[in-house]
Amino acid sequence: MNDDRFDVIGRVTRRQDGHAMVTGRQLYSSDISLPNMLQARVLRSPYPHARIAAIDTSEAERLGAVCITPEDVPRVKYNERQVSVPAKTYRDRTVLPDKVRHVGQGVVAVAARTEALADRALDALDVEFESLPAVFDPHEAMRDGAPQLHDAVLLGETVLPIERNIACYREAVEGDVARGLEEADLVVENEFTTGRAYHGQLESKAVVCRPEADGGITVWATAQSIHNTRQLLGSLFDIPLSKINVQRVPIGGSFGSSIQMNSSVAVCVALALKAQKSVKLVLTREEDMYDHCKYPSNIHLTYGVKRDGTLTAGYLKTVVDIGGHNIQAYPLLGCMAGWFVSLYRLPHLKFEGTAVYTNKAPACAMQGYGNPQVTFAVESMMDTIAEELDIDPIDVRLKNYVGLGETFWGQGPTVRSVIRSCGVEEMLLKGKAMVGWEGRGSSTSKTGRFRRGIGVGRGFHTSGTGAPTPGEVIDYSTAMVKINEDGSVDCLTALMCHGGGTLDAGAKMVAEELGVPLDRVGISPSNTRSTGYDVCTHATRGVYCGGASLLRAAQDVKKILFDFASRIIDVNPDALKVRPDTSRGQGVVCLPGAPAKRITVAEVAKTAQIKGWGSIIAVVSHRQVNCPPCFVVNFVEVEVDTATGQIRPMRAVAAVDAGTVINPDLAAGQLEGGLCRGIGLALLEDTTYKPDTGELTCGGYLTDYKVYTAQDMPSLEDLSTFFADTYEPSGPFGAKGVGEAANNATAGAVANAIYNAVGIRLTEAPITPERVLSALTRDAEQLQQGR
Amino acid sequence: MMTKRRVTLTVNGEHVEPLVEANALLVNVLREELQLTGTKYCCGTGQCGGCTVLVNGEPILSCLTLAVAVDGADILTIEGVAKPDGSLDPIQEAFLDHGAVQCGFCTPGMILMAKDLLAHDPSPSEERIREHLRGNLCRCTGYHRIVKAIGSCGQ
Ligand code: FES
Ligand code: FES
Repeated sequence: MNDDRFDVIGRVTRRQDGHAMVTGRQLYSSDISLPNMLQARVLRSPYPHARIAAIDTSEAERLGAVCITPEDVPRVKYNERQVSVPAKTYRDRTVLPDKVRHVGQGVVAVAARTEALADRALDALDVEFESLPAVFDPHEAMRDGAPQLHDAVLLGETVLPIERNIACYREAVEGDVARGLEEADLVVENEFTTGRAYHGQLESKAVVCRPEADGGITVWATAQSIHNTRQLLGSLFDIPLSKINVQRVPIGGSFGSSIQMNSSVAVCVALALKAQKSVKLVLTREEDMYDHCKYPSNIHLTYGVKRDGTLTAGYLKTVVDIGGHNIQAYPLLGCMAGWFVSLYRLPHLKFEGTAVYTNKAPACAMQGYGNPQVTFAVESMMDTIAEELDIDPIDVRLKNYVGLGETFWGQGPTVRSVIRSCGVEEMLLKGKAMVGWEGRGSSTSKTGRFRRGIGVGRGFHTSGTGAPTPGEVIDYSTAMVKINEDGSVDCLTALMCHGGGTLDAGAKMVAEELGVPLDRVGISPSNTRSTGYDVCTHATRGVYCGGASLLRAAQDVKKILFDFASRIIDVNPDALKVRPDTSRGQGVVCLPGAPAKRITVAEVAKTAQIKGWGSIIAVVSHRQVNCPPCFVVNFVEVEVDTATGQIRPMRAVAAVDAGTVINPDLAAGQLEGGLCRGIGLALLEDTTYKPDTGELTCGGYLTDYKVYTAQDMPSLEDLSTFFADTYEPSGPFGAKGVGEAANNATAGAVANAIYNAVGIRLTEAPITPERVLSALTRDAEQLQQGR
Repeated sequence: MMTKRRVTLTVNGEHVEPLVEANALLVNVLREELQLTGTKYCCGTGQCGGCTVLVNGEPILSCLTLAVAVDGADILTIEGVAKPDGSLDPIQEAFLDHGAVQCGFCTPGMILMAKDLLAHDPSPSEERIREHLRGNLCRCTGYHRIVKAIGSCGQ
C-alpha cells in the first residue's frame, strides 16, 4: 500500500531496530551485565495468605549474601502503577510485605556474586509463616466472615477501610434502564466469564540496578514507562529524581505486563542500595506467572431491543477478581463501562462494576484492559439478538454501532469526545464479502462430527486516553527533535516500542515532516535524565499521542530550519518547502519553481553552526485532546469436533480502522498477533489455582499453561488482513492506534463462529473441549426431552 | 565448591575454551562466559525454543544442555548467522522484509530453526515449516509473518 500523499508514511520499510534483532545484538534488560554485579533471588511465599512470623537471614549472610527483609525496606505504601492522578490511586503494597496475599509473593531477597551462590543463600534463609485462611473466589470473598486480605488501604492520602474485600466499586447511569427495558419488544440476558490469562511475553521480567557515587541509581528494567518507574523509585527510596536514571531498554514483549513498575524493580533497587553494588534480578518463568495476569471477568449483561433490532437499553454488571493487590482496578472499571457504552448506542444504560481482592496473583492490564472481556459478552449478545429477531448479525451491528459524529467515552465517563473518523461499515461489508458470509449456513443445517461455523465480532480501542479536560488518567508525551550538522536528524523521546513499531512510526513522521530521507532519521537511546515526561506506552497511545509529540517537535524544528535557510538563500521562510532528495541522501529546502533557490538541510545546519545561529532543535510536551476509537472487525471460521470438543481456528479476516496506516507491514502484524492472542483468550488461556494450596495449576510451565504454536494458526492463505480507508483529523498525518484493538473483537467472533457451527451459545471463556462437550451433551439431552 | 572443567568449543567459527562448572548450562556459558547474549533465556525448562542454538548443525535447547556435554562441538548462535563481513543471511533478510520481527525476543531461536530446516529441506512446504517451528513460541506475531518469511527463502 503506497499513499501518494506521503513520501514515507504508509510505505513498507524495514524497521530500524530490526537489524539488531535478527543478529542478536538487541540488548534487553536481562542482557545487561555490569562489572562486579551481584545476582539476586527472591524467597517467595508458598502460602496464599500468611503472616510472616519470623525471618532469619544469618546463615545466608554467613555465605556472603546481602539480604533484605521487610524490615530493611521503606514502609511506604505504594501502587505499582502511576498513570492515574494521585487522588485516584489506590495504594496497598510495600516493597516487601509483612503479610503475604498470594503464593509466589516475594518476602526476602538475597544477592550474591553468582547465581549459584544466591540460590544457596536462598535455601539458607529461614522464614516462619503463620498461615491464614485464604479465599480464591470473588463472590465468596464478598461474603460476611470471609478471610480479609486488607484492613485498609490508601486512596490518595486518605485511609480507606476495606470491607468484604471490595477494592473499589464504580457505577455509570444514563437515562432509566428500567424504562428502556420496558420499551423493548425483546429482552435478552446472559452471563459471561473470561479467564485470568497470563501475558506470556517471551522475556520474563528483569531488572539491573547500579548504585552511583552521588547516592543516586541507574536502572535498566523491563518497563513501559521509564518516567513513572523513576518517580516511584524516587518517592519510595527518597532519592531526588535528578539522581535516578532509568534507561529505556527494549522489551521482549509486553502486552501490558510492565505497565506498572514491577515488584522486582523495587526489590532489586533495595538490594543494590544495601550492597552498594550493581544487582541483577531476572524472574524465572514461574515467578513471572505469579507476578501478574489479565483481569478476568464475570459479566451479567442485559439488553432491551425493538423488533427492528434497535437497542433500547443495556445493563452490564461485572465482578472482577483482582487478586491480592489493586493495581488499577478503579480505572479498569471506568474503562469497562466505557467499552460497553461506546460499542452500541444505548438510550438508557447502567454499568455496575465491583473489583474484589482474592488470594491470587494480582491482575493488571493485558492487551485491551477489560475490553476483550466486555466485547466478548457484547458481541455474543449481538448475535443472540440477531438470532431471536431473525435479522442478519451484521445488520444488527450496522443499526446500532456508535459511529461518525457521535459521542463516545471509551476511556470511561470522564473522557468524552466526538468520533471524527469511522471505518466500521466499510470493514463489516468488505469482510463479509471476503469471508463468504452469505454461504455460511445456519447451525441447523450442519451435521456430522466436524462442523464449521463463521462468526463476526467487532470492537474498538481508544488511541490513548487524551481528552480536552484533565481527567483521572495522565496523558501526554514529550519529544525532542534536532537536525544535525550533516542534515541527519535525532529524535529523543521516552516512548517505548513493544514490538509493534511505535518508534519506527515516530521516525517516519519526523522524516515526512522534515523532508529528510528516512534512513537519516534516528531514534536516540533515551533515559529519564535526558527526556521529558511521557506517561507510558500503553492504551494504544504510542502512534497517536507519542507520534504526535514527535511530529509537533518536528514542526517546530522546521520553522527554525526555514528561518535559517531564508537568511542564506534570501527567500521569505513562509514560501519555503523541504523535500527529500534521495540521490543526494539529503533533505533539500527549496522555493518551488525557482531552481536557484535551493539548499540542503545539511548546508543550513552547518551554516547555522559556523555562524553561531545555534542548533536546529525543539522540545515539545504534547497532550492529545481526543482519544479516537480505532475500530476492528474480525471474521473467524472454526471447526468444532463434536466428538472431542476440540475447536480449531480455520480461517480469519481481520481488519482495523487505524486512520492513516504508518507501517502497513507492522500494522498487519499487530492484527495477526492480536488475533492469535484473542483466539487464545477465547479457547485456551486461563491461570487456574489449586483450591487447597493456592498454587497455579500449570505449575509455572508454559506448556501446561498452553499458548498457541505455529501449527495451531490458520494457514497463510486462510488469514487475511486489511485496513479501512479513513483519515483521523486529530491524528498525526491522520493516524490512530492499532495495538490493543487487534485482539478486542476476537473472542466474540470465535464464540459466534462456534454458535454458527453447533447452535450452542458458549459463554465461559476459555471455551475448552470439556466445556464444549458438556454443552453438547446438555443440548442433546434437552433435545431428547423435547426441550 | 564445585570443580571447574575446561571445555573446547567452536562458537561461530571461533575456537574458545571456557572454564565451566560441571552443572553449567550451555545457555549460561554462552550468555555469561562468552557474552553472546543473542541466545535468549525465556523459560529455562525447554518449553519455548527461545534458547535454541545449532550444535554440530542440529538444533538443541541450550537451557537444557550441559556445557560439558557438548565438549568439542561446533556451535552456531544467532551472532554467527550473518557473514563475517556483516552482510545478512537470506533468512535474516527475509525476516526483515516480511515484518516477521516484533519484539525480537523469539527471533534468534526462530532464525536458527529456520536455518536448520532449510539446510535439510531447501523448499519446505508451509505445513512443514509450521511443524518444524512447533516448539518455538512467539507471543507477538501469531507466527504468520515468520512462516511467510521462511517460506520465501525456499528455492
Ligand atoms: S529458554 Fe530454553 S526452551 Fe525456553
Ligand atoms: S516477536 Fe516477540 S515473541 Fe516473537
